[in-house]
Amino acid sequence: MTELEAGRAETLAPVRSGAVLRRYRDVLIALIALAVLASLPLFTGSKALLDFVIRCSAYGLFATSLNLLVGYTGLTSFGHGMFFGLGAYSFGLIMQKLGVPIPVAFVATLAITAIVSAIIGAICVRLKEIYFAFVTLAFQMLIHSTILSWASFTGGDQGLRGGIPRPPFLGIDLANHVHLYVASCALLILGLLAMRQIAQSPFGYTLRMIRDNAARASFLGIDVWRAKLTVFVLAALFASMGGMVMALFVSGAYPEFAYWTISGEGIFINMLGGVSTFLGPMVGTVLLLLLNDTVTRFTEYHGIVLGVVILFFALGLRKGLLDFAAEWFAQRRDAGEGR
Amino acid sequence: MTRTRTPGISRRSTLALMGAGAITFAAPWVARAQAKTIKIGMPTILSGRVAQLGTSSRNAVMLEVEKVNAAGGLAGRHIEMVIRDSKGQPQEAARVARELVNTDGCELLLDGEASSGSFAVHEVARDLGVLCVHTCSEASSLTADPKQHIPNAFRCVRQGIHDSIVGGSYAASIAKAKRLKKWATCSPDYAYGRDTTGEFTLYLKRFAPDVEIVSESWPKLFQPDYTEVVTKILQAKPQALYSCLWGGDLTSYIDQANIYAMFSQMEVFAVNMADYTALTVVKNLPKGIHSGNRYIKTFPATPENAAWGDAYKAKYNEYPTNWSWQNATAVMFLSEAAKKANSADGKKIAEVLKGLTIRCPFGADGTVTMRGDDHTLVGYAIGWGTTIPQEPYVPEVKAGDWKTIFELEAEWKKSKGYT
Repeated sequence: MTELEAGRAETLAPVRSGAVLRRYRDVLIALIALAVLASLPLFTGSKALLDFVIRCSAYGLFATSLNLLVGYTGLTSFGHGMFFGLGAYSFGLIMQKLGVPIPVAFVATLAITAIVSAIIGAICVRLKEIYFAFVTLAFQMLIHSTILSWASFTGGDQGLRGGIPRPPFLGIDLANHVHLYVASCALLILGLLAMRQIAQSPFGYTLRMIRDNAARASFLGIDVWRAKLTVFVLAALFASMGGMVMALFVSGAYPEFAYWTISGEGIFINMLGGVSTFLGPMVGTVLLLLLNDTVTRFTEYHGIVLGVVILFFALGLRKGLLDFAAEWFAQRRDAGEGR
Repeated sequence: MTRTRTPGISRRSTLALMGAGAITFAAPWVARAQAKTIKIGMPTILSGRVAQLGTSSRNAVMLEVEKVNAAGGLAGRHIEMVIRDSKGQPQEAARVARELVNTDGCELLLDGEASSGSFAVHEVARDLGVLCVHTCSEASSLTADPKQHIPNAFRCVRQGIHDSIVGGSYAASIAKAKRLKKWATCSPDYAYGRDTTGEFTLYLKRFAPDVEIVSESWPKLFQPDYTEVVTKILQAKPQALYSCLWGGDLTSYIDQANIYAMFSQMEVFAVNMADYTALTVVKNLPKGIHSGNRYIKTFPATPENAAWGDAYKAKYNEYPTNWSWQNATAVMFLSEAAKKANSADGKKIAEVLKGLTIRCPFGADGTVTMRGDDHTLVGYAIGWGTTIPQEPYVPEVKAGDWKTIFELEAEWKKSKGYT
């Protein structure tokens, strides 16, 4: 090692140890969050609360995975819901037709999603901006139409009927509400942790570079197409996980899971929560579901209420809630330091 | 000047203690009063394109519930309806149904969902074991398929297969009389449209074997422009047309086909025409469209049915829909079953509901039955007639024969592997 290299190593060492520490901090936070969520049934008998968290898990995984594309890579997908639907249908069909153990169906669903998303992604990620958005939307409508038309296999517009069998495995019985709840929480936390690792890895920073200036990234020797395709497939896998949680929750799969409105909700969630912080979509998910659940209790004109809320965020705050909060704290800190 | 706290209990603490004491003593009374009330949950579609049908379901339920409550309630318990919008989304329907039972304490469910939403609510009923009466989904497999069968779910709705049998036999008699051999079909491109059309043509050909289908059109659901469909049908020059378009799609189709004078060139059989939502909206309702009855107050032609239709109109300033009579019938069934079981308990009501026959304004012979073996509604008034442009819109309806329906339905079930 030359003197110069030794000097560099000395300056890099604290950075690396900082990254390692941050990684451990993330794992620790995830473990605490999982412990808190998993112990919730000990303190409350509210099935509605557990239902709420299960739905948050499904939508949270989906929305956060969409943020990997929108927030980190600058790929605004209008068709991300297709992987949510694909996950729900693949999992439901495998369980209904093959009767394999749940972990096998889970892995097989992820494999199917990976293959389908790689094929679709290979075509889509060559395109930019609005063209990318609309081609993803077109693929989503293709999958949705296939589900509707292939009625003998998918049940058509009536969905997968007859319930999804949930045989117990390793002492876990997903037919039991509490077991399903804990499993959903575990999937959510593991999924979020994995996505966090992706976002904070060198690959994650490559994505940010592509988002900010793809031409520059390309000149630096980065294979932009491959990086975009990789994140497209990874995001599809987490969306598919969300779909599986939803399929288990409703014990079925329905064409609406693969319809463009699901993708729209994903974008809406990201707008609500914010795309520049990792947990923004999770905050958006909780906000949207809370809003939906409370507003529909009182009025059928929920569309108006949700419209006003989105206008408030889009025109009033001009960003998602967590983005706004993060900026506010940063300003306060800067002001404090300045004083 | 500084204020000093005097020792002892403050005014606020005293008030809080009094409040807490009042709540403690009142709680058993409140609980008892609550137990006296029975909550019935109902997820249905109150927003979007089919909101009118969901609203008409809610109206009919409230109309009947008021009567039941006035007569002493459900086995002595006052009914409180908790009705929520599902937006027509199955996952939302499942969520709302679970919320109604788990959070709002509903002991029974009326499922006012169509198509996939009803299957989602069915799974909730399977999971929670709560008594559930489906009131809007016409999909035959919901009760015909034994895989769907659960002891706590019933269907109080007309069925696609029943309509097809009666429609096929009625259309065949007209086809024979008027020598209509070349037929075209035009139905919405989704499971209901394809299944119903397939079943209709199956029975049409069974009763009139020399019928030939010369053109098939499958417009998209909620399609705004039917020009290409209309011209395609006119080019095929059929003698008769069958359609199971419904609601706004049917009225748009008729308005647009009127421009081409389609209805003077062929006999038209539109199973969903005779519903006030369609009859009163079409600008120039052509004379002589053949239609199945959805809901009209003149069929069955009984004073009870007419009185029910008028009472609904008087209360809500509009006529009831097909969903209305089905929902009203469901409340009538619950009320009668609770009386017989002398209980509002879901399990006891379910036991009594099996095979229960009640007097009903919408029955073919003044009664309807909840068939015991597949938990589905039979014996309701079903028939076909032709339209005129003003009230009563379908002056004469030829009633379907339930004996034939039962025979052919049994054959159909066998062919589907359901029995």
